[in-house]
Amino acid sequence: MAKSNSAEARAGWLLAAPPAVYAALLLAAPLATVLLYSVLTGEKGAVSTPFTLSNYAEILSKPVYKAVMWRSLYVSMLVTLTTVLLAYPIAYFVSFHVSPSKKSLWLFLITIPFWTSYIIRVSLWRTILGYDGIIDSTLISTGLMDSQLNILSNGVISIIITLSHAYAPFAVLPIFVSLEKVERPLLEAGQDLGESKLMTFLRVTLPLSMPGVIAAVLIVFIPTVGDYVTPELIGGGKTPMVANLIESQMLKQRDQAMGSALAVTAMLIVGIVSVVFVLMNRRFIGGQK
Amino acid sequence: MTFSADRPNMIEFKDVHKYYGDYHALRGINGTIKAGEFFSLLGPSGCGKTTLLRTIAGFEDISSGAVLIDGKTMAGVPANVRPTNMVFQSYAIFPHMSVQENVGFGLRRDPRSAAEKARAVEEALEMVGLKGYGKRAAHALSGGQRQRVALARALILKPKVLLLDEPLSALDKKMREQMQVELIKLQREVGITFVLVTHDQEEALVMSDRIAVMFEGEIAQLADPETLYRRPNSKKVADFIGTMNFIPCTILSEAGDKVEVDAKGLGKVALDIHQAPPPRGETPVVGLRPETLTLLYPGQTATERETAGVIDEVIYFGDMTYYDVYLGGTDTEVRLSMRNVPGRPVLDVGDKVRVAWSPEALVLFR
Repeated sequence: MAKSNSAEARAGWLLAAPPAVYAALLLAAPLATVLLYSVLTGEKGAVSTPFTLSNYAEILSKPVYKAVMWRSLYVSMLVTLTTVLLAYPIAYFVSFHVSPSKKSLWLFLITIPFWTSYIIRVSLWRTILGYDGIIDSTLISTGLMDSQLNILSNGVISIIITLSHAYAPFAVLPIFVSLEKVERPLLEAGQDLGESKLMTFLRVTLPLSMPGVIAAVLIVFIPTVGDYVTPELIGGGKTPMVANLIESQMLKQRDQAMGSALAVTAMLIVGIVSVVFVLMNRRFIGGQK
Repeated sequence: MTFSADRPNMIEFKDVHKYYGDYHALRGINGTIKAGEFFSLLGPSGCGKTTLLRTIAGFEDISSGAVLIDGKTMAGVPANVRPTNMVFQSYAIFPHMSVQENVGFGLRRDPRSAAEKARAVEEALEMVGLKGYGKRAAHALSGGQRQRVALARALILKPKVLLLDEPLSALDKKMREQMQVELIKLQREVGITFVLVTHDQEEALVMSDRIAVMFEGEIAQLADPETLYRRPNSKKVADFIGTMNFIPCTILSEAGDKVEVDAKGLGKVALDIHQAPPPRGETPVVGLRPETLTLLYPGQTATERETAGVIDEVIYFGDMTYYDVYLGGTDTEVRLSMRNVPGRPVLDVGDKVRVAWSPEALVLFR
């Protein structure tokens, strides 16, 4: 037995080796480099010793860094909130009101936005939200408004609209899966025990679908904190988020050490928020009493 | 069987029909369930018994007719305000709640204080034999315990009617028999009307005051267990409840309250009219339960009728032995059961035997 076990283990390692090497080269090595750079001094596109924590000290002391970090956090949190609030009813509808034979068709339809490149979708949002764009011209021509709204001029709102639309399908899927796992007799039991449909939803369906909601939150929150393209294209660079700041440090100021320190700080913040959510997820999964 | 027929009606069905698209699931259900009765809906799967139960609970709308609970029509009354509670087949225990949270689920709007509600939950758990289990996680319970939680959760709300949808089908045989007795005791204790859905005829006979046997969306017979067993009103009901031998016969004469038949292997028998349910235009047969036939051992004589036979098959069950016997030199084969008591050796295939029977036990289907 022991022999075949070790043979199995060797086969397992062998199978895992190529992706492990790939991950080490493309994930671990750059990460280690960034960590190393963040404690060096950067100047004119080069880094040099001695090791120092002055980059981190600067991030903590300078208000501009704090402001951009904070904006990244609240923009991505608002995006997450909007996305989950939009995705939940869609997932609920597909899970509870679409006949089982049509569910996969619906899920397929939900992925249709992915058929268009994200850059193109961002440009389309510019046309929709911008000065004399589709929203403005519609409102003015129907006489509902007499001046331009120009939503695009508000960077944060435009970013939230664009990102929420882009990430909605990612949020629908985990919520849908968790709703599918809610046994339907439980809902009848809730009503049988005297609760209305709404109260049964709040007391039974919602708590049981929380693992999916938390998964959706993580899937949306983590990538949106570090989103680079949207603030650049939608906000016109006037509403930078942390990724834009890192880019500017790395490529424009040519201070790779500072850029790395910013990247590490952003990673830490995302890490902390994610751990909090993972722990909440544990509570809901492991907490099924 | 101690049930008194003069109790008030708790549930009334008035020509209840239910269609699922083209499928006619309930085909004109009429009948009443009395207050405090242990009532069973018995039938094979797909006969509409669960649908009928769900029309009481309010989970199914009916296509036409009326369902009344305690004299009030239930049309347009949603499940959450009906005076009924249900024990689901899958028990439907909320997996994200503890045992006590499950049992107290329906008490949210109860005006009592939290301490009083907690006491009510504890009492309900004690009633179903789960005292001290309140803090347990629902997913850590066994099947039998889940069922008890489901019972406590329903009974704590003191419904007028408790609905049970095949509650014992997921339990093993020992546990099932134990729960049957517990449910009967519980029903007597709380005095609530119980409506049980089951496909297990034995379970229905053991537990019920009255039983409605259903086939294909219709009630075939509604009677107390003894009537159902001894005087089934059709061959189909007779076949579904227990075992019955059917012996081809010809009707010789019918006059007044007497019917005379010639049953193959048994000979001429005069039957009382109450042994012959209304005719259905079927080929006439007489039915006999296995335990109403007795093998005669040497020295024994029949008190009423006696027929010679040959043993074709012996099926030994420990406490009982079943014999398949050819009667009176014909190809009519009947199954009879004998309790294995001292002085009754188990006989062999091919043995020539004498079979005692009583015309009283016969039922004529035609």
